[in-house]
Amino acid sequence: MARIIEETHETSYVGDIFPRLFGYMKPHLKIIFVCLVLIMIITGLDLIRPMLIATAIDDYIEGYDREYAYVDQEQAQVSYDGLYLTKEYEEDTADTFAYMVYYNDSYYFFRDLSEDDLDKIKEIASGTVENSAPDDTVLELPGTDYVGQLMDTEDLKLLRKNDLSGVVKIAILYGGVLIMTFFCNLGQTWLLQLTGQTVIYTIRQEIFKHIHTLPLRFFDITPVGRIVTRVTNDVEGLNMMYTTVIVQLFRNTVLIIGYAVVMISINLRLALVCFLFIPVIFGITVVFRKISRKIYRMLRTKVSLLNTFLSENISGMKLIQIFAREKEKQEEFEEKTEDLYKSQMQNITVFSVFRPIIFVISNFALASVIYLSGRFVLDGALTLGTMYIFVNYINSFFQPIQQLAEQFSTLQNALASAEKIFTILDEKNTIVEDKEPVILDDIKGKIEFKNVWFAYEGNDYVLKDVSFTINPGEKVAFVGATGAGKSSILNLIGRYYDIQKGEILIDGVDVRHLSTKQIRKAIGQVQQDVFVFTGDIKSNIRLMNDEITDEQVKDAAVAVNADHFIKNLPHGYDEPVTERGSTLSAGQRQLLSFARTLAYNPKILVMDEATANIDTETELLIQGALETLMKGRTTIMVAHRLSTIQHADNIIVMHKGQIRESGTHQQLLEQDGIYKKLYQIQQHHAG
Amino acid sequence: MEKKRTKVLSPLLARYSIAYLFGLAMLAVVDYVNLFISQFTGEVIDELTGHTLDGGGLLTYALKIVSCGIVVALGRFIYRHCIFGSSRKIERTLRDRMFAKMETLSQRYYNENKTGDLMSYFTNDMDALIQAIGPSIVSSFDSIVLTIMVLYKMSTYVSTTLTLYTLIPMSVIAVFGYFYGEKIEKRYSKKQKAFAKLSDQVQESISGERVIKAFVQEKEQIDAFQKVNAANKKANLDVVKLNAVFGPTLNILVGATYVIAIIFGGYFTMIGEITLGRFVAFNSYIGSLVWPMLALGDSITSISQGIAGLNRIHQVFDQVPDIKDDKEPDKVETLSGEINIDNMSFKYGDTLPDALHDISVEIKKGETLAILGRTGAGKTTLVNLLCRVYDITKGSITFDGHDIKKIPLKVLRENIAYVPQDNFLFSNTLAKNISFGKLDATMDEIIEACKNADIHDNIVDFPEQYDTMVGERGVTLSGGQKQRSSIARAILKDSPVLILDDALSAVDTDTEETILENLKRIREGKTTIMIAHRVSTVQNADHIMVLDEGKVAEYGTYDELLARNGIFKKMVEKQQLEAQLQMTE
Repeated sequence: MARIIEETHETSYVGDIFPRLFGYMKPHLKIIFVCLVLIMIITGLDLIRPMLIATAIDDYIEGYDREYAYVDQEQAQVSYDGLYLTKEYEEDTADTFAYMVYYNDSYYFFRDLSEDDLDKIKEIASGTVENSAPDDTVLELPGTDYVGQLMDTEDLKLLRKNDLSGVVKIAILYGGVLIMTFFCNLGQTWLLQLTGQTVIYTIRQEIFKHIHTLPLRFFDITPVGRIVTRVTNDVEGLNMMYTTVIVQLFRNTVLIIGYAVVMISINLRLALVCFLFIPVIFGITVVFRKISRKIYRMLRTKVSLLNTFLSENISGMKLIQIFAREKEKQEEFEEKTEDLYKSQMQNITVFSVFRPIIFVISNFALASVIYLSGRFVLDGALTLGTMYIFVNYINSFFQPIQQLAEQFSTLQNALASAEKIFTILDEKNTIVEDKEPVILDDIKGKIEFKNVWFAYEGNDYVLKDVSFTINPGEKVAFVGATGAGKSSILNLIGRYYDIQKGEILIDGVDVRHLSTKQIRKAIGQVQQDVFVFTGDIKSNIRLMNDEITDEQVKDAAVAVNADHFIKNLPHGYDEPVTERGSTLSAGQRQLLSFARTLAYNPKILVMDEATANIDTETELLIQGALETLMKGRTTIMVAHRLSTIQHADNIIVMHKGQIRESGTHQQLLEQDGIYKKLYQIQQHHAG
Repeated sequence: MEKKRTKVLSPLLARYSIAYLFGLAMLAVVDYVNLFISQFTGEVIDELTGHTLDGGGLLTYALKIVSCGIVVALGRFIYRHCIFGSSRKIERTLRDRMFAKMETLSQRYYNENKTGDLMSYFTNDMDALIQAIGPSIVSSFDSIVLTIMVLYKMSTYVSTTLTLYTLIPMSVIAVFGYFYGEKIEKRYSKKQKAFAKLSDQVQESISGERVIKAFVQEKEQIDAFQKVNAANKKANLDVVKLNAVFGPTLNILVGATYVIAIIFGGYFTMIGEITLGRFVAFNSYIGSLVWPMLALGDSITSISQGIAGLNRIHQVFDQVPDIKDDKEPDKVETLSGEINIDNMSFKYGDTLPDALHDISVEIKKGETLAILGRTGAGKTTLVNLLCRVYDITKGSITFDGHDIKKIPLKVLRENIAYVPQDNFLFSNTLAKNISFGKLDATMDEIIEACKNADIHDNIVDFPEQYDTMVGERGVTLSGGQKQRSSIARAILKDSPVLILDDALSAVDTDTEETILENLKRIREGKTTIMIAHRVSTVQNADHIMVLDEGKVAEYGTYDELLARNGIFKKMVEKQQLEAQLQMTE
């Protein structure tokens, strides 16, 4: 029996995954380069945005404690209360100044100040200010005779007209940055996804194509579900990597570096304080991902256990009810839901601890930065705008770090998928055709086995030194117990497996030198399990060969007695059918498969216990169909029906991989061997 | 069918209402405290510019921010536990109850509903519901509370006018998000469909590999696959197209809010309407408004999906079991095995023709009745009626004179051992499967039953013998082995009535003979009903009933029926003709 390879054995792929994954990107390198450039631009633009706001604050919005110089009308930025003022002046050109002080939520304007006056007021204003005036309409700085006039909204509007237009300029700039970001983002996302999808498409096509080149042996030992997963879900896992992860890794790295550089350039000490938190957040995230992945896996197992239980017990509900086992099954079910519930609670706990912890840490970082930057502002080492940037950055700085940590694990998953995919792609086709195979002009159908030894695995020979010859047009039946090697012989004729010793010849040529395609086309196989493809009756007879016309399809169906039941279907030949084909009975499926075989008009007919478990009426139909099928063809069958065997030109009796008897029905009966014994047993039961 | 709306979710929500309310309160606290973090940041800046802050004050602020953070973290931990925990408790209880409910529903229900559909009540619909009463409740409550709080803070702490201005792009986001949500969902489902199609195609192609190789169809398969592969790519790109526009558009809308904040906020700051600190705080408030806008849209979708899920789950709970105990059942504890069927008719549906018509038969205690007939003749239906899988339409079935409907279901079924046609085995050990009808069976009893069903020798050949797992996670038994295990299971139950529904179809003639002989011995004095195809199976029966198109066509002993020259005689002749060659040694 075929041994199923364990999943764990499969992931033994050693080799460089990265270069291979990269290989798929090669045709798209230019686009990927463009994407990376776009990402750099986007990241740069993202970094600029808080800076713009900070500039707006520092240069325009902040009006606290601001000095103006008296200038000529032409040089003035604003004209205020008959004065021509500017914020920007050269040291030596100005000699008279005005100064605006922010006190107790109001602005006060000090005018006609000399340079000395200005310095004095500045000094006072930078400390804690008190007003010695009786009311708030003026601000009298204590210990001086400087008096500032309270400014109303109109005054402020007038004085700060220029600032406002500055802010508007920055807002427009900000808008410009937004629009640029928009287009860069759009372009980047689209180009990258397009590339990713193309790569995925290519990989899928490649795997699918490759799988179909693999020998039958591969399908014997690999469960269908696993192959399907490789083509579908594992490739989908790669999709994430190509379209999101790589880009995000790049983007976040650029972002982190960008933030870091900007932060360092603004203030080294503050930056260093922020950096202290990086390893902590990264570390916690990685640990969390590990734990959560474990729990997630457990959760998945529990869910699938529960679902398996459900689907099984829903299907078996009748049995449960008839055996009155509702209570017991309910208890079993509750155990499973309890199990699942416990895992879910674990999951909730892990998440409800992790997220808040990260929050506490980044919040702590925020508090530290506020405290420190506040100190620096107090010391005059930092402007408020810079403080704004830092506070703003700290909020967005930890995000990419956390994301980076999470993306690493996504990358790990993708690599695991890649490994599985490459394992399949590296699976070799062991049934290799010659470079220039012999093409026979016309297959006549002579089959020779010369001292054939064959094992599916190792030295477990299922055929031992088997020799026989079947001449064109002959009908040969193989008889024997299960495991005698009958089916193996049928498989070897179409070269689905290669033999270890001996030779198999078709029309005198070793099958290994023939074109596999040609011989397989010449062999019509009627299999034990009839596989029905999703489609309709017609498409199941001609399969995907468009050269077979509707007429030929119908002729084939008529010839094998399938036409009758097909016509009775609601849509006749266009009746939709599916793989599990519940619409067709076993007998109908069998007839369909006969029609399929006949439509391909093979030279050699191979039948494997083609008729089992069929009711009596269909059986008669099949008998007739078989006659039609065998007409003029070399026929090899693993027989079941006495009537067919009796008319065979040769009956070969197999026992434990060896030929024990052969001859016609009459000859074998005379021999008094296994065949006769079998015949007698059967006769006895018939009586 | 009678329909009433049972209360499914509301009692459970009520049961956990305290946890829910506490969780939601905690959530509100978290949102509230969270706002202070922005506010404190603003205040620090204000007091720094206003020269009213010293180092000590600064430290106090830092500590305040840290403590807010800790409160928020604790609050989040608590509400997650309260709400998500409760939702999971509700999920577990609902699942348990739904399964219990399903156990009360009759076979009719299972005929009408595919297993896959029933499964999806437990999986997809339940998931949608839990998503709605867990995360979605949290995020919609959160976004509403947060939005209100932030807007309140914005307008009181900063400026109402400014808040109104920024609401313009925000509301565009909400509307835009809503439409996007609708569109993207459609494309997502198309994408999923495309992927499912791709999976199906691969599945089919791999399963049909032998046919493909035999007919040299590899190239055609690859070409066909290319089509679904390309369709899948296109469906994916359709989603991407929308996302590629949505993300950046969202970005630009949020950005627009900042632009408004800069211009108007800057202006208000300059003219002394708001302070610089408040301007800074305003900017960070905007940041915290974006998330709830998006989350609200998401959670509305998810809650509506949850409601849809709940409605489907209701279909299970609202089912009225049609086979149930009589309100005043007869006091019966055991049955002797005497069965009377009198003028009994049965149809599967009101509009359908009779599946069984006017059946009358008497089965005496200890008798063996064989039922023969073509596929569709009503054999299985008849034995199903004896187990009360369905209720009869007309006439009566009585056991020991008790009407079948008056016998408690549990009593009826515990007194019948049944071997179904499809030989269903559970994913469990062979021993557990076989003792399914008699849970307290000793190992010796199990082995004895297996010997009688001629499966013992096969079982001891397995490496783990009776502990061998059956099904997906264990060995795959052949049809014959399954059938004999299923027979052993029924034999072990040793009930007054044994029903075998075509239970020997997958065993060879020798084995059949052995089992029949064993049955004859151990069923001595007990009633046995067997459905069969082969004439050889029924030779030893006391009576044979031939069903044809739902009616009793022939009834009598083997010899009587042979003499009648009817359907039975024809069957015997036919089967003798096509004697099968048994591949035994």
